[in-house]
Amino acid sequence: MASHFSGVLQLTDLDDFITPSQECVKPVKVDKKQGRSVAKIQIEDDGSYFQVNQDGQRQKLEKAKITLNDCLACSGCITSAESILITQQSHEELYRVLRLNQQSSGGEQKVVVVVSVSPQSRASLAARYGLSSSETARRLTAFFKNLGVQYVFDTGFSRTFSLLESQREFLERFARKEEDKKALPMLASACPGWICYAEKTHGDFILPYISSTRSPQQMMGSLVKNFFARQQGVEPQKIYHVTVMPCYDKKLEASRPDFYLNEFETREVDCVITSGEVLKMLEEEGVSLNDVEPAPLDTMFSSVCGEELLCHAGSGSGGYLHHVYTHAAKQLFGMEVGELTYKTLKNKDFQEVTLEKDGTVLLRFAATYGFRNIQNLVQKLKRGKSPYHFVEVMACPSGCLNGGGQLKPVTELSNKDLLQQVEDLYRAEQPSAPEEDTRVAELYHTWLESVGAESARQLLHTQYHAVEKSTNGLTIKW
Amino acid sequence: MKDTVELVQRLSAHPDSRCWYVAWNPKGSLLASCGGDRAVRIWGKEGDSWECKSVLSDGHQRTVRKVAWSPCGNYLASASFDATTCIWKKKNDDFECLTVLEGHENEVKCVAWAPSGNMLATCSRDKSVWIWEVDEEDEYECVSVVNSHTQDVKHVVWHPTQELLASASYDNKVCIYKEEDDDWECRATLEGHTSTVWSLSFDPEGHRLASCSDDRTVKIWKECTPGDGEGDGSTDTWKCACTLSGFHSRTVYDVAWDRLTGALATACGDDGIRVFKEDPAADPEQPVFNLTAHVPKAHSQDVNCVAWHPQEVGVMATCSDNGEIAIWKYESEV
Repeated sequence: MASHFSGVLQLTDLDDFITPSQECVKPVKVDKKQGRSVAKIQIEDDGSYFQVNQDGQRQKLEKAKITLNDCLACSGCITSAESILITQQSHEELYRVLRLNQQSSGGEQKVVVVVSVSPQSRASLAARYGLSSSETARRLTAFFKNLGVQYVFDTGFSRTFSLLESQREFLERFARKEEDKKALPMLASACPGWICYAEKTHGDFILPYISSTRSPQQMMGSLVKNFFARQQGVEPQKIYHVTVMPCYDKKLEASRPDFYLNEFETREVDCVITSGEVLKMLEEEGVSLNDVEPAPLDTMFSSVCGEELLCHAGSGSGGYLHHVYTHAAKQLFGMEVGELTYKTLKNKDFQEVTLEKDGTVLLRFAATYGFRNIQNLVQKLKRGKSPYHFVEVMACPSGCLNGGGQLKPVTELSNKDLLQQVEDLYRAEQPSAPEEDTRVAELYHTWLESVGAESARQLLHTQYHAVEKSTNGLTIKW
Repeated sequence: MKDTVELVQRLSAHPDSRCWYVAWNPKGSLLASCGGDRAVRIWGKEGDSWECKSVLSDGHQRTVRKVAWSPCGNYLASASFDATTCIWKKKNDDFECLTVLEGHENEVKCVAWAPSGNMLATCSRDKSVWIWEVDEEDEYECVSVVNSHTQDVKHVVWHPTQELLASASYDNKVCIYKEEDDDWECRATLEGHTSTVWSLSFDPEGHRLASCSDDRTVKIWKECTPGDGEGDGSTDTWKCACTLSGFHSRTVYDVAWDRLTGALATACGDDGIRVFKEDPAADPEQPVFNLTAHVPKAHSQDVNCVAWHPQEVGVMATCSDNGEIAIWKYESEV
């Protein structure tokens, strides 16, 4: 099976996810039962295993299972986590939940199914159907609701939290840059491919630089399973939260133990499906978005002005550089920045922005996309030669609009032309300033102040874990 | 077989270890060797004899698998199983480690300098091929990481004149790369070998590529120019012009095309070395290579590498699992 993960993940040991599981080296934990120790194991024609005890009793044996988290925690890992992701996080799984909901009778409590759609996925589908991004959102809302989904939100809304927290975190890091050599550069954390790569390959060296701010997907996880659950009076595990993302690696992000609510035994995001998987759902339903009657947007968690969705300025990968830069210029140096001037370095995926005053560089920011540029950035950091204060790091060349989960071009269209279309559609939405979002400000006030500082920090931030490297001499091939 | 190969000198190069690879500097005055003892050794001629001039032992933590000289002869690159590539700068008769290229996930299998000397390629068990750019200040930056192979990449080699790169892999394939829109991409995949492709060598003009394999054959590949009516321009087409089979009884680990005479030498797991010559009377579209010399027990163990001297006709160096280097003189009857 061809890999869907981003190039960065393909290069690290995670890549071994893709090769067949026969090479898995993870010891499976077996719960040993006390008692009889003598038994035969019989293999049936269908491949199932039975334990036959001395008294002739037969007992079906369970298959040893490796979960995705086993894979992520094991650096020697060589198993096909992709197939695990496909069983745990797929549009089939969403269908299964929706079917169970329909079948449940009045007595049983149904789960509340929530779908949060990313702006990049919206733009990708909009390009395929020749619609605007907002129109696509209205029609996707209708499509999902016709299938039994109750709420359809916009991760552009939760991204406002990510941008605000990134801005604050940067100021805080900038203030302690003299005492703490690893305060800067602050490296953006929204890209799960980059995070996995950093944890696996550069571990404790690189992690302190990475912003602790949650990605938009996981901010939405907090909003839905904390604020929304309480507001609706529903327990978090009774909400099934699905996100639609431009990226397969987001499935890995949702599976991180950091985003699992132990108390309620539920993930903040239960299932991630890609833009491409939404297209598959539309095709399986025999529906074209062009024929779907648009529905009003769920404005509770959507960035809207009237019936039109809003976006953020800057890159198609969330605009982290843009927002942190303009905020820092104003807060630290009292400078209002209108337009940012990006200087292309080695290639189009390595760009730089500097803030200068009287010939002195005050701030130097970079956007670094794709594996080769990440490499050079990391090597520069290791040699103490990085001149940057902030870097927007993304694993995919061209960033999230070009994510591995986006729709592929049809017919004659080149990948490059399609990407341009998607970018135009993404940018056609009106940009909004995170600082001016009154509803987000209100949520900071009502929700986050009410839970206390420590809980608020947990809801808005996360942490990273270095993965120990183990070298297994047996796997070396000359 | 009318031609002769005579032993000139045998050197215990990496005692109690394997000698993996040897490389002549462009002038042919120095020979670099590397091995399982984690060292690189530099050999020079004293009178009629080759002697060890220096030992580069502090660069790598594990086996050094390949070494390569820059076209100017002032730099040496060493690829190691410790996942790094060291760049050594020649200072008078000594070498100092200038920089260490990090980034590969695990064992680096090969390193090769582009003809311009401004670029370097490395490949690894991590299945990737990396292209690095060198600037005036001896700073190395990664310009591309290409993941076209599905397995361990064994070898990389540059075209003698163009910025075109070829790689060989455990996935039985050969890939050809070019720069396209500020990134490198695989332009052609050469399929035909039925087991690991161990090494590659371009002919002196760069029109053809020889590959050798664990399937005991050597294949000669030829690029089809657009005028041949093959390919649509979006990819390049290379086809197998001939296969040398039935000559080798074990894995062919290395193949080298002599820039001076056009002879083709192989290093084999049956401990032998062989020299092939092209039949000038054969149809260029269907070339014929004849075995003209064979040294059955050139070494007491696997022969890992064969390298033609860049200046002296007929001189070649081989190295083996027994840690030895041997220098040979090939004499052609015509």
